[in-house]
Amino acid sequence: MITKQLVEQIEGEASVYFDIKNEKVDFATVTFPHFRGMESILETKPALDALVITPRVCGICGHAHLMATVRALEDAYKNSGYEVQLTQKAKLIREFTLVMEMIQNHLKWLYLVIIPELNKLLHYDGQKSTLKGAYGASLASKAIALFGGQWPHSSYMIPGGITSDPTHIEVMQAHHHLQELKSFFEKESLGTTLETFLSFESCKDFHALDSDIATLEKHLIEADMHQKGFAHDRFLILGEHTFSERTKLKHTRSFGVDIKFVTTKPSFSPYEKSFAYNALYKNDYYETGPLARMMSSGLPIIKNMHRRFKDSAYSRVLARVFELSFMLQHATKLLDKIDVAEDSVVSLVDIKKVWATGIGVVEAPRGPLIHKVTIEDGIIKNYTIITPTQFNIGSDTKEKPTSVQHAMQRLTKEDALFVFRTFDVCSVCTTH
Amino acid sequence: MADRIEGVKKLFTSKSARVETNRGDAYYEKLFQKCQARIEELKTQQPINNRLEISDVLENHGIERRDFLKWASAVTGMLMLPASFTPLVADAALLMNRAPVIWLELQDCAGNSEALLRSDGPKIDEIVLDIISLEFHETLQAASGHQAEKQLEEAIEHFKDKYLLFVEGSIPMADDGIYGTIGASGETFYDHLMRVSKHAAAIVAVGSCATFGGVPAASPNPTGAVGVMDVIKGKPLINIPACPANPANMVGVIIHYILTGQVPELDSLLRPKFAFGYRIHDNCERRAHFDAGEFVEEWGDEGAKNNFCLYKVGCKGPMTFNNCSIIRYNEGVNWPVGVGRGCIGCSEPDFWDKYAYERPMADANIKAPTGGVEKTVDEFGLGLLTAAGIGIGIHAAASSLAGNKEEVGE
Repeated sequence: MITKQLVEQIEGEASVYFDIKNEKVDFATVTFPHFRGMESILETKPALDALVITPRVCGICGHAHLMATVRALEDAYKNSGYEVQLTQKAKLIREFTLVMEMIQNHLKWLYLVIIPELNKLLHYDGQKSTLKGAYGASLASKAIALFGGQWPHSSYMIPGGITSDPTHIEVMQAHHHLQELKSFFEKESLGTTLETFLSFESCKDFHALDSDIATLEKHLIEADMHQKGFAHDRFLILGEHTFSERTKLKHTRSFGVDIKFVTTKPSFSPYEKSFAYNALYKNDYYETGPLARMMSSGLPIIKNMHRRFKDSAYSRVLARVFELSFMLQHATKLLDKIDVAEDSVVSLVDIKKVWATGIGVVEAPRGPLIHKVTIEDGIIKNYTIITPTQFNIGSDTKEKPTSVQHAMQRLTKEDALFVFRTFDVCSVCTTH
Repeated sequence: MADRIEGVKKLFTSKSARVETNRGDAYYEKLFQKCQARIEELKTQQPINNRLEISDVLENHGIERRDFLKWASAVTGMLMLPASFTPLVADAALLMNRAPVIWLELQDCAGNSEALLRSDGPKIDEIVLDIISLEFHETLQAASGHQAEKQLEEAIEHFKDKYLLFVEGSIPMADDGIYGTIGASGETFYDHLMRVSKHAAAIVAVGSCATFGGVPAASPNPTGAVGVMDVIKGKPLINIPACPANPANMVGVIIHYILTGQVPELDSLLRPKFAFGYRIHDNCERRAHFDAGEFVEEWGDEGAKNNFCLYKVGCKGPMTFNNCSIIRYNEGVNWPVGVGRGCIGCSEPDFWDKYAYERPMADANIKAPTGGVEKTVDEFGLGLLTAAGIGIGIHAAASSLAGNKEEVGE
């Protein structure tokens, strides 16, 4: 029997159609029923208008979209023979705000989605602590606003650099917000210091803690999530950053990758019109996002986790908590390196002289975000956006299941819906 | 429909957006009595759905009474009421859990929910909003599917003709609405909005998509997106545009409603005057540089380093009405102009197509809604609005030609 299940709280809405046999999910397809047509809106617009339009694709990772756009435009400059050499300061500040956006995303996901959903699954009442997520996220977005002007929907990156020209005061204030966020996270979420947490070597180390995260770990085991929710054990990272390198992993082995092998195809949605396209790499489905990035980071605890529990829902959820911790430390390092005396932006030729195609790739909270733009005479001729959820939450036939479809198979419907959320779905990005 | 929409957009003038703040003691005395009576009545009612008492939560968050009153006096000022109203505003805030609010998310990016409920606004706004009776929010509420629909129906029935309906996102009308469906039954956004709005006391359209269609309605408008005001008739409607809408303005509207039981005074685009009676340019921290003829000529130049006026790199502040130059974003931390990015006019109709990015106003096809910047231009009034836009253009061009800032200041 096919049952439709609506999934909310995912930046928009999705429907999962379950084919249940013997009370287990035999197969599931995913439908994204909303559409805005961002790509066709971008076409015929002046090239720089993309900088204010694409962040509006998404209310939670708009910053990643901005960075993908600016990278795509700079790549087009390069392909026209005008290579853009960013100053170190511009690079660092862009990276810092991107990392902070990732942090607020993970915090919200943790406290607004995963902890409450896991409690629901286990029928625990559980004290609602959504305000914790909101408070932590507001600190992160304040730090973004210092350099970016506002969050969400900031547009302060431009080809050649950034528009803001911070002084020591802004850098100091950013340090202050970050420090407050770190202390808050250590005290309210981890129950230990970031250093201790990141030096964990085994999942057993959680047992020494008494905190939200320790409870989360305990509940994941209780719900058997270490034995459920396995995807293909293939990971893909495409964005190049101070915290990531372009690579793909099959199990733990790393291989080189090229962006040209990324393709899309219409998603398989037999029961309802879906506006989504699946994203593939060399015609295969890969998992992207925090688990993928943490797998390539070489953190001992992640290796241990993967050795024991592979790419289970347990690993996926906790990898995100580790990434959150890692990023909090990383953000401090980025701030420390900023030299405010450097220029914010380098001078470029008029964009009307750029007749080329450019590709911008960024690691967004959920994985690789790809923007491809073709400009002629300063006007956008073509714009293509591929978002991380298209990699993770594709919908294909039973013979070729996507990461999420594979992860939901043979589970009860309730378990499957929880596993669905462990991927951190973004509906508005998927169909854009 | 298109003609009507265009007609509405042209009605706006900067004078019509101003709030009369000096109506005499008799007026405010009467209003005070009325609000007081309403607050007393609300106090006798129970909070909705056993929501938390706001005073308890504030206490748990370590917010002292003194800070709370400070916040209340700021809100009183924002609503353009005399200071004597501060205790009433404080009471109204504590009674916010008596106001039923239903929130609908339609064709959007969820950015306003993000701005409102999770990331932004002065600390107290955020807490107050988190526990306010948001009866039904498609993104945030935990229930889903049939359960959620049932909840929604119950809320509509229970608070019939009393609830405020907040709408985020545009309504895709093309191809019979197939670009946005909602709920287990696959109802189109249009039908859904019609059904839920039928028994609303008032509708609040939040963000540029819900007010004027926003990004989805930008040319070529692939999904036929329109704003709430284009499809709803015969209901009190409040528009809170901007991308994202400022949480402080949402709180302002709710408090005003609790305080008076009415919608706040609106301009011709149905925006509350307390928030949109300001022109960005008039309260901009860089305004003095405009007057002095000091402009950023290109990104990263000496002007940029000295926080000069962003007009020539495309700032649409002179054409945009909103209070972000005063209340800013993210708990007052900053706003786009603060980081050297000009205003893009995100609270004005059609800004994606008309205002956009780096086109100085004189080059952009904008019919200015105001009498321009300088006094002399101001006096021409409505008839010469386009000329005013050009006037500003000339002023800016003259400054670069003259090459001598001091000479073109006036």
